[in-house]
Amino acid sequence: MEETMFIDPQRCIGCRSCVAACRECGTHKGYSMIYVDYLDRAETTATMPTVCMHCTEPTCALVCPADAIKMSEEGIVMSALKPRCLDCRNCVNACPFGVPKYNTEMHLQMKCDMCYDRSSEGLMPMCASVCPTGAIAFGKYEQIVPLRRTKPVNVHVFGNQHVETKVYLMLPTDADAVEVDGCGVFEGMLQRPAEERQTPTVESWIDTQVEHSDKSNEF
Amino acid sequence: MHTIKTRDKFTSVVYGLAASAGLTLLVIVGSRNLEHYDAALFGYTVASVVAFGAIVYRYALWLSRPATRIYWRRGWQLFRDRRRLAENTKSAAQTITHNLVEQRFIRRRGFTRWLMHALIMWGCLLSAAVTFPLVFGWIHFKLEGERGYRTYLFGFPLNALDGRSVAAWVVFHALDFTAVMVIAGCAIAIRRRLRDRGAIALQQYMLDFVPHLLLISVSVTGLMLTVSSLWLGGYMYSFISLTHQALVIMTLFYLPFGKLFHVVQRPASVGVELYQRRAREMPQAACARCGVEFVSEMWLGDLKQVVEELGFDYTMPDGRQLQDYCPRCKRVMRGLSYASLPDRTAEVFRGSRAEGKETMNAE
Ligand code: HEM
Repeated sequence: MEETMFIDPQRCIGCRSCVAACRECGTHKGYSMIYVDYLDRAETTATMPTVCMHCTEPTCALVCPADAIKMSEEGIVMSALKPRCLDCRNCVNACPFGVPKYNTEMHLQMKCDMCYDRSSEGLMPMCASVCPTGAIAFGKYEQIVPLRRTKPVNVHVFGNQHVETKVYLMLPTDADAVEVDGCGVFEGMLQRPAEERQTPTVESWIDTQVEHSDKSNEF
Repeated sequence: MHTIKTRDKFTSVVYGLAASAGLTLLVIVGSRNLEHYDAALFGYTVASVVAFGAIVYRYALWLSRPATRIYWRRGWQLFRDRRRLAENTKSAAQTITHNLVEQRFIRRRGFTRWLMHALIMWGCLLSAAVTFPLVFGWIHFKLEGERGYRTYLFGFPLNALDGRSVAAWVVFHALDFTAVMVIAGCAIAIRRRLRDRGAIALQQYMLDFVPHLLLISVSVTGLMLTVSSLWLGGYMYSFISLTHQALVIMTLFYLPFGKLFHVVQRPASVGVELYQRRAREMPQAACARCGVEFVSEMWLGDLKQVVEELGFDYTMPDGRQLQDYCPRCKRVMRGLSYASLPDRTAEVFRGSRAEGKETMNAE
């Protein structure tokens, strides 16, 4: 599979079509594996769509005690093998992107597998097929990138850790990587005095309406 | 990144060899110095001894994975806690009945799936419970009087059975019943695998079909033996018997390396559940960003240790580890880093109170 995904959060309008469509995928029928998170609901309508970035050295697979998370030849990091997964949730908490979901009742982990039933046949993953703004795109690098002014980057730096991924994030700058080095605050906040900049501890109304699954990663 | 160390490989080989040797010894002792050992079953015995060694080798290698090792050690450490021995035993018993025997969690994945698995699992386990002791000479029968059979276990006499009774019929045909169970279970599984879009995309021949084909062919050839001896006067008996033996040996050798390894691996859920139950009672770690208590401190500590052992370094500038944040905050933090990327030519997101108004006025 030469195709991969290109995520452009700037384009995300938070419509959650992808969240609904994701449930239709054959490999995790009925359960949505994508997230659309509010960055700071008191400040902005901006949302962050998160799919699995498919790391080239997946932390989730390495911290799995059951050796249940495998990679396909194309570099897709799969959901845990059903006979093996012990629902220990190591992957859920080790993943730098906060992606894997778990279900205790079923003793099972599942995660975004780029809709392997579709993408392995060249079809778009469900999320990309319904995204109205192109925030989530699927295709070959040579096809997608010339259409965009944003820069495709597949390296994240979390503190000291470089993480390279199969999926690209589209950056509005010349940066070569996305650096995550702390809690972060929304840009509007930066113009405020430092003491006001902390993340609000009280959840906004909309945050309380977010699906349970988005908060706990339990599907 | 993590690769298997030569030392771990070596220890695993030693464990494997020791296991094979141990089983050989048990065969000799259990059959009273091979007195009750049936030489015709020599092939099966050798294969079982080798496969058992291979399973133990694979298990030991599996335990050398950093994540597995820490669960293994911590699981036993928690279990051995004297003050909680009663609770721990209860927890283990609960997991064994709910997860290993009743397999409620598979039931929740789907009823047909559960039925499929129950048929395969009980079919195989019961077959194994009948055949292995016979093969190893641990059980044998002796004719008593006209039609009485007395069972001997490890050479010790047990109850006698009327050879013409219903009970005896069931016992002597146990393997026929279990063979039918296995065939039915595998048929359900194969049916799903031929129809389910998700399964079709993910499955691999060696991993997902071979086990069913092996189990079915073992069961069918087993049934053919009964048919041959009961109704066909032993027609082709030795040929079928040889084929059956070859298939059983292939299945035994498939055990440690293929999908069926879960049979030995899965009981680890006893330890994992114990770990989780104990962890829930311990101090909880709060997410460094949103303050939600999301895992226990012990668990987070163990996880961070594994992550480090694997060669990752998720240390953040403030000295915390990325794993100190809950999954949702990790996603938001990444979003915020994206939003505040330096050197950009225009704002990344519109709609912030401070900047949004200005931009709107300007347009
Ligand atoms: C220790 C008890 C066992 C447990 C907890 C267990 C658990 C599981 C689980 C969770 C699955 C995946 C089911 C799914 O697709 O959701 C599975 C699949 C399977 N198990 Fe077991 N198992 C056990 C014993 C056995 C035994 C003794 C056998 C017989 C050899 C067996 C044969 C299989 C087969 C063939 C599959 C694959 C079915 C398929 O997906 O096509 N299992 N097992």
